Amino acid sequence: MAIQTDACVIGQGISINGRLTGDEDLVIEGRVEGTIALNNHLMVEVTGTVVADVEAVELTVRGTVSGNIAASQVVSIQADATVVGDVRAPRIIIEDGARFKGNIDMDVPLPEGL
Amino acid sequence: MANTIIGSTIVIDGEITGDEALYIQGTVKGRIALEESLYVEEGGEVEADIETQNVEISGNLTGNITATERVEIKETGRVVGDVKSPRILIADGAVFKGHIDMEV
Amino acid sequence: MADNGTVIGENIRITGHVSGEEDLTVFGWVEGTVELSQSLHVEPSGIIKANVSVATAVVSGVVVGNITASEAVELLQGGRMVGNIIAPRVVIADGAAFRGHIDMGEVDAPEASASSSRARSSRPASTRRQPSRPAVAPARPAARPAARAKDPAPAEPAKAVEAKPSKAEAEAKSSPAKSTKAPAKVEEVVAAPVKASGRKKKASAKEAAAES
Repeated sequence: MAIQTDACVIGQGISINGRLTGDEDLVIEGRVEGTIALNNHLMVEVTGTVVADVEAVELTVRGTVSGNIAASQVVSIQADATVVGDVRAPRIIIEDGARFKGNIDMDVPLPEGL
Repeated sequence: MANTIIGSTIVIDGEITGDEALYIQGTVKGRIALEESLYVEEGGEVEADIETQNVEISGNLTGNITATERVEIKETGRVVGDVKSPRILIADGAVFKGHIDMEV
Repeated sequence: MADNGTVIGENIRITGHVSGEEDLTVFGWVEGTVELSQSLHVEPSGIIKANVSVATAVVSGVVVGNITASEAVELLQGGRMVGNIIAPRVVIADGAAFRGHIDMGEVDAPEASASSSRARSSRPASTRRQPSRPAVAPARPAARPAARAKDPAPAEPAKAVEAKPSKAEAEAKSSPAKSTKAPAKVEEVVAAPVKASGRKKKASAKEAAAES
């Protein structure tokens, strides 16, 4: 889950509008609208706002995300985060204090007879 | 293992089945089928047909009882219904109305 | 004993309606409906197949059904649930599994700015594959091979992320996005429900697309 310290950072004063793709870790402290497809760990920091459908390997949200999320490994919605949208990932964590509205789609192994 | 306890404010309307002891302090309506002992405690209200091994009644029970071993109505107990069991005890002070069948 | 609440043992099965004003701890099986003014604990061996209305629910076992909690729902590690949750506080721990909808009441979502929603809706789905335009952010994608070398995994997810959801989903995404997001902007007041329903449509459209 640890993000690279030399990860690409979209700073607080930056606003991006469009399609964002990449292969390295990315930290969003500013604002991104459009779509995001990242082959690595995406971190939306406390100051970050994302209005976009997001695809990533791992996603950690401390800020705000509005859009549908698909992660191939894990999505962690942390205590200060606000997320509105549908989330699909094999591992999804919602911490106490996080605000969330939407669908969650994980594999749920149920015992027989249910 | 945790015993099963139906607390005093609980109301169950339906069927309880299982093979462990069951203590009822609340209200159960419907049917109870146990392969173990049933305890209707003081304050317990049961309106159900019962199949079990042993029953001990200190509360109120309305319904028919079939026990494979023993039925005991304690002094605070009150039972309205038919009882079928090889051993039946009714304590002094208990209230009972119904048929008794000890499979004689 | 009643003070400790009600316990449904591992070898007990209840079918029907359970209601009450005390804590309920389930090691066994409860099927039907559960209505409590206190808390429900579903232990690792416990199975609830019921619609549940409680103050708080703490799930380490299995729940199939909807939970409405006036205070909180916690899915702990090992907890498995399929159904919808309505509660002001919802916690899903790592190692829990959940499928369904979560409603925590009013959640303020940021709106797309006017320019972006125009940009999004005016662009056809196919431009998703066009690399020219949004080259803004990943300006240095290959510049740091160190980041990639450290994690050898991305090669495979790379395909998954890029290939799987692209075409079918792009269609599914773009068309409802146009129809639902635009009106949501106009009527700011009802933005939340409109968007929510729009997402559902989107999700089902996605599923449909995936199935086909």
